[in-house]
Amino acid sequence: MKIGKIVRDTFIIAALKAIPDLKRQPLVLMVMGLISALPLFFILVFGGEISYGLVGAMISTVGFIGIASAIQDITFDRYVKIRETIIAMPVHPISYMIGAALAPLIFSLPGFAFFLAIALWLGVIPFQALGWIIAALLSCWAVLSGLGFVISTYLRRASIYTLNNLSTILGLGLIFLPPVYYPEELLGGLSWIGILFPTSNTAGLIRAYSGLAVFSQEIIMIRWLALLAMMVVSILLVVFKAKWRET
Amino acid sequence: MEAVTSVNLVKAYRGKEKIEALKGVNISIEKGELFTLLGPNGAGKTTFLRIISTQLLPTSGEAYVLGFNVLDEAEKVREHIAVVPQDVATYGNFTPWEYCYYFSLLRGMTKQKAKETSERALKAVELWELRNRTCATLSGGEKKRAIIAAALASEAEVLLLDEPTSGLDAIARRKVWAALREMIEQGKTILLTTHIMEEAEMVSDKLAIIHKGELMAQGSVEEIKGLAKEKFRVVVEGSLKALEGYVSNNSSVSFGSKRIIYVEDGDEAIELVRKALKKGLKAEASPITLEDVFVKLIGGKENENRKNS
Repeated sequence: MKIGKIVRDTFIIAALKAIPDLKRQPLVLMVMGLISALPLFFILVFGGEISYGLVGAMISTVGFIGIASAIQDITFDRYVKIRETIIAMPVHPISYMIGAALAPLIFSLPGFAFFLAIALWLGVIPFQALGWIIAALLSCWAVLSGLGFVISTYLRRASIYTLNNLSTILGLGLIFLPPVYYPEELLGGLSWIGILFPTSNTAGLIRAYSGLAVFSQEIIMIRWLALLAMMVVSILLVVFKAKWRET
Repeated sequence: MEAVTSVNLVKAYRGKEKIEALKGVNISIEKGELFTLLGPNGAGKTTFLRIISTQLLPTSGEAYVLGFNVLDEAEKVREHIAVVPQDVATYGNFTPWEYCYYFSLLRGMTKQKAKETSERALKAVELWELRNRTCATLSGGEKKRAIIAAALASEAEVLLLDEPTSGLDAIARRKVWAALREMIEQGKTILLTTHIMEEAEMVSDKLAIIHKGELMAQGSVEEIKGLAKEKFRVVVEGSLKALEGYVSNNSSVSFGSKRIIYVEDGDEAIELVRKALKKGLKAEASPITLEDVFVKLIGGKENENRKNS
């Protein structure tokens, strides 16, 4: 299939999944922003470090999306069979995967822009590091979206209750347990765990570029390599393992 | 030219027990035909359609759409088909227009072309006036027609429709039938699955009866009806004692005070109606229906299976 068609289809699927909802349910934008803002509220109330909270909130707005897209995919598939219909169309699975992940990314943009604006205003993030930070966030989004898509294709028969619980567990596991909203140093000798999760790895990179954490160039390189390796694995999983066509 | 062909198509699902959903099905659908796959629930109709539409892999056998192998040339097949899955619900926030327009774009159409085909399809299923209403506010029949319109708008040469009229009232169903026949007039090929006998009889050029994964019969409606020995049915209502001697020579089935008696020729049917009327019973004769043949074929197969086991 031609690359141009794959890219075009990606944006059509993103539009198909985002525009009708945005037109008719604009409140969902507020909900997505509030989910990420909640930990920030507690950090403020209990006198925690706001800069760590803002980094966490930015990753949360983007990170939740990967998992949300998996849940949305299955929900759509089961109830409206859009995916089933698209499988029988001349559409590449990659277009579907990225398009399905892009749609909620569109929803998260206002929340993300809000947290980013505050971080820039407070001087938590320097302007000159913005490019690196956005690149890290997009890589994190790509890893989680890929994983979400693969998981969704394997849990075709799971009930909606199981899926809701799974999204909560994955959300907790990937956003709130690893050092995303808090510094890696709190884990002491286990601080290396941060590199294993795409979310906390991204948080570490953002902190490094923001000056909130001091890492050597080698460590930054290793963190980038780890994030990119996760992204490649996730894309390969989508290409080779995702059950696009049932057996 | 054949639009859809299957050769010894087998599908077995491996779970706790191995279930054979298709047992070597051979079907041939000519281009420009409306072909109906008729069978009770669980017969294997959806499995067949999902294999043809490249959503499901067969266990063995081969299937082709316009000469393209569904296994090795799935991408080519997908360029020529449009599918309406079984029990498809609509997404409440979508409008019929959005269904048609976005799905047409995904088929590679330009925006202008997608607008034109969407308009044509929505008019064909009489949804043009409701095109901008969200599906959440449409009736069940209107929602179904919105999905069918999306398939029609695709301009695909082969339409694969899995029970597209299930759950629709008679009026909505007839509107869908009219739209399907319109598509046939335009040279499309349609493979339709249904368990509604009237639908199969009314819209099909050809049909196949499938039961427990096995193909029972294939041909035109008249050819299928020709498989039954009896060509007429007489429905008699009232006390049937007066006709007992006569009825015993023929196959019949009772529903409360009504009895359907199957006879081999028209003269025999007229004679039976005359006798019944003389005895003061209500009676009417008509040619055998597809449903009668279907029940006989399935019933005969069930008896055969029982004997074998």
